[in-house]
Amino acid sequence: MGVIPPAREPPVLTSAELHALRLSLQAASLGVLLGFPVAFGVAWLLVKTQMRGKLALEILVSFPLALPPVITGYALLLLLSREGMVGRFLNWAFGIDLLFTWIAAALAAGLVSLPLMVRAIEVALAGVDPRLEKAARSLGAGPIRSLLTVTLPLAYRGMAAAALLGFARGLGEFGATIVVAGNVPGLTQTLPLAVFTDLQAGDDSAALRLVAISVVLAAISLTIHHVLIHRRGSLRRQWTPS
Amino acid sequence: MDPVISLNLRKSFPGFQLAVNADLPAGIAAVFGPSGSGKTTLLNCIAGLDRPDEGEIRLRGQTLYSDTDGINLPPERRRVGYVFQDNLLFPHLSVQDNIHYGYRLTPESRRRVAPQQLVDLLELGPLLQRRTDGLSGGEQQRVALARALAASPDLLLLDEPLAALHLSIRGRILRYLKTIHRELSIPMLYVSHSISEVIALADSALVLDKGRQVALDEPRTLLGRSDAAPFISRDSVENIFDVTVTEHLPESGITLAALGETTLALPQIDVPIGQPVSISIRASDVILASEKPNSISARNILESRINRVDAAGRSILVHARLEQPWISEITPDALTNLNLREGGPVFLIIKSSSISLLD
Repeated sequence: MGVIPPAREPPVLTSAELHALRLSLQAASLGVLLGFPVAFGVAWLLVKTQMRGKLALEILVSFPLALPPVITGYALLLLLSREGMVGRFLNWAFGIDLLFTWIAAALAAGLVSLPLMVRAIEVALAGVDPRLEKAARSLGAGPIRSLLTVTLPLAYRGMAAAALLGFARGLGEFGATIVVAGNVPGLTQTLPLAVFTDLQAGDDSAALRLVAISVVLAAISLTIHHVLIHRRGSLRRQWTPS
Repeated sequence: MDPVISLNLRKSFPGFQLAVNADLPAGIAAVFGPSGSGKTTLLNCIAGLDRPDEGEIRLRGQTLYSDTDGINLPPERRRVGYVFQDNLLFPHLSVQDNIHYGYRLTPESRRRVAPQQLVDLLELGPLLQRRTDGLSGGEQQRVALARALAASPDLLLLDEPLAALHLSIRGRILRYLKTIHRELSIPMLYVSHSISEVIALADSALVLDKGRQVALDEPRTLLGRSDAAPFISRDSVENIFDVTVTEHLPESGITLAALGETTLALPQIDVPIGQPVSISIRASDVILASEKPNSISARNILESRINRVDAAGRSILVHARLEQPWISEITPDALTNLNLREGGPVFLIIKSSSISLLD
């Protein structure tokens, strides 16, 4: 054939790269899905109750923020392994082993983004005047109804922002993921792991393509986060007839 | 008559103790006292938003709180409506949805008020589709009132509903409260630090000072009680009345208004004939005469009798009775010179310019 094919210059991403992208999105999404309810529960306890041991709880959920992610991953590894409490239970009850699957990557992402989500939800909940909930109670709403009809509608922007922050953090998760999920291309290799692998292999151009994707993803989620946080007042005002 | 609210409670905060033991009758009762006297804490305890340290709270025979019986009903089961000082309307809901919030949560068998009735009484029709953050203070107050009443409460608590409002619409809200009470006969507990409001609205008043119960009495009587008088700022005593505009006299610059059988001359106001308005006359602006003055510039001379003379402090409050009770504040010197006695005749003289409009 007379035509020279373009050598090693795919116009789009390779299938392995596409897979890494999809896996990253999957893991970060499932991580938020699993972590958000926990984060909400913790934030609610911290903001809305007078329970004892708040400091201990706060410190416990903040560990993933202060510890190296590798250590967080190691803790998760111990829990999920056949000898770990959770791993043994899952194996006994469902016959499954989560270690070195993409679900383990999702758990790692959820765990490291937990403290960020807790903090953001705390801010969102604290932004709702507790006396509005008292007003709802005096009008006949029980605590749960008052939460559903007053607190959540007023805090939902802040909570959506919290979820997005967790998602953004999950996308970038590396240290804990490599410990619990490994780095299997096409199976558990997320974007950051793929970048690491490319760098190790000296393939700078491949690494840079993935870096570009990561930058775009991060920019998108941070922009939406910013909009959610900062347009709170103006969005509401625009409904008011002047 | 059985008391509507029976209170016997104590609650301490660091540096403060509230201790109240009072039975309040049906009608409008006021809780009166300087700021920091525990008025709002008392209301919160009745509503179930604060928990007393000990004692008992009963509403229409039902125990809301009792430390001995271990009863502490949650707020949503107390059927106590609460109009907060700063209204606390739900900012994410329209005016209509705010009003319907408690109504929807009230079982059908318990509903005694239709939202539409409240919308009509409080003239909220044009506001229903609005969001709450664009409303004026007076509008928010009316929405908060409608929202609380729509849940058909057995008791309505009002925490200084007029304090945040501009003077010019205080009268209107006072009239709304009276209308509500007349039409719906819901007992009210009304917190205020204005004795004039209390006199205009309430049948009985509980006076608190630093959490201590000072007096429980008919509001006018409080003015003469030496134990309660120190907590009442005398310079704020006003006569507040509802009058109906009857005639405008543009050439004289006055408006005539009916206060029962009496006609008062007010400075000209731009209000249609037949419309009710609230007016305020400071007690110190009500001049007394023992004989009918013949030539005097003041436009209003009302013949009356002296009901009671309260001599407390450096000024004297003279209560005179026409159809409505009036209060005049004079000096002890004037009392002696005029030879005013309880039961004796007296003429009340009011310059039209000292009558101010409250709405």
